[in-house]
Amino acid sequence: MEILACPVCKDPLTLTIAGVEGDEVMSGELHCSACDEWYPIRDGIPNLLPPELRRALEANTPPSRAAP
Amino acid sequence: MAGCGNPVAIAGLAPGERVLDLGLGGGIDCFLAAQRIGPAGEVWGLDMTSEMVQLARHNAATMELANVRFRLGEIEDIPVADASFDVVISNCVINLSTDKPRVLAEAFRVLAPCGRLGVSDMVRTRALTPVEARDAEAWAGCVAGALPAAEFAQLLAATGFVDVAIDVEDSERGVVSAYIAARRPA
Repeated sequence: MEILACPVCKDPLTLTIAGVEGDEVMSGELHCSACDEWYPIRDGIPNLLPPELRRALEANTPPSRAAP
Repeated sequence: MAGCGNPVAIAGLAPGERVLDLGLGGGIDCFLAAQRIGPAGEVWGLDMTSEMVQLARHNAATMELANVRFRLGEIEDIPVADASFDVVISNCVINLSTDKPRVLAEAFRVLAPCGRLGVSDMVRTRALTPVEARDAEAWAGCVAGALPAAEFAQLLAATGFVDVAIDVEDSERGVVSAYIAARRPA
């Protein structure tokens, strides 16, 4: 996890854990303090798409897939 | 999907190595790589489609592979710190990118000094006839986006890679699969 970096500026990310299964973070957020940008972790998968692309994809995604 | 296989890069992996796979497909290369590097190593798979990442993660859980991690991200904006991996592999994905110089620059950045790039991809070996070009567009985007082999080699060198080698399939076709190897200098 420590090698994860912000896709935009490559700074390290700070992890906030919402849910864990075993030793795996299932939900939470990763924060880039340099960009002040949040990256969600859902279903055990960190979404590190560039924020603009993520938002564009989410806009085309049915509401049932929205964040909890 | 016109997958072309990446057995050479996987065969070259050593136990304990850290491997990044750019573009997953179903994750098969990640799983083969995970078996080569063993429990001391780690494979990360990066893909921009959540469906692929979910599928690969499900498959990894079914296979009880603990040394594979999947992240949703773009190969043009790799979300990892500099010099994090010993090997970057990719199977028929880079030709799909509309910004190949940026993909290669990112691969270079995340490789540790002396780190290796091992890519299976489609390349052009000559100019396509109009009919071939039309057929290529119709067959798969990865064929239409394939770089000439010499241009791919030049791009790798311009990015800073050394020991660039492109092994092109022997074929009369103008777009062929190739194995592309290079190394980040020490």
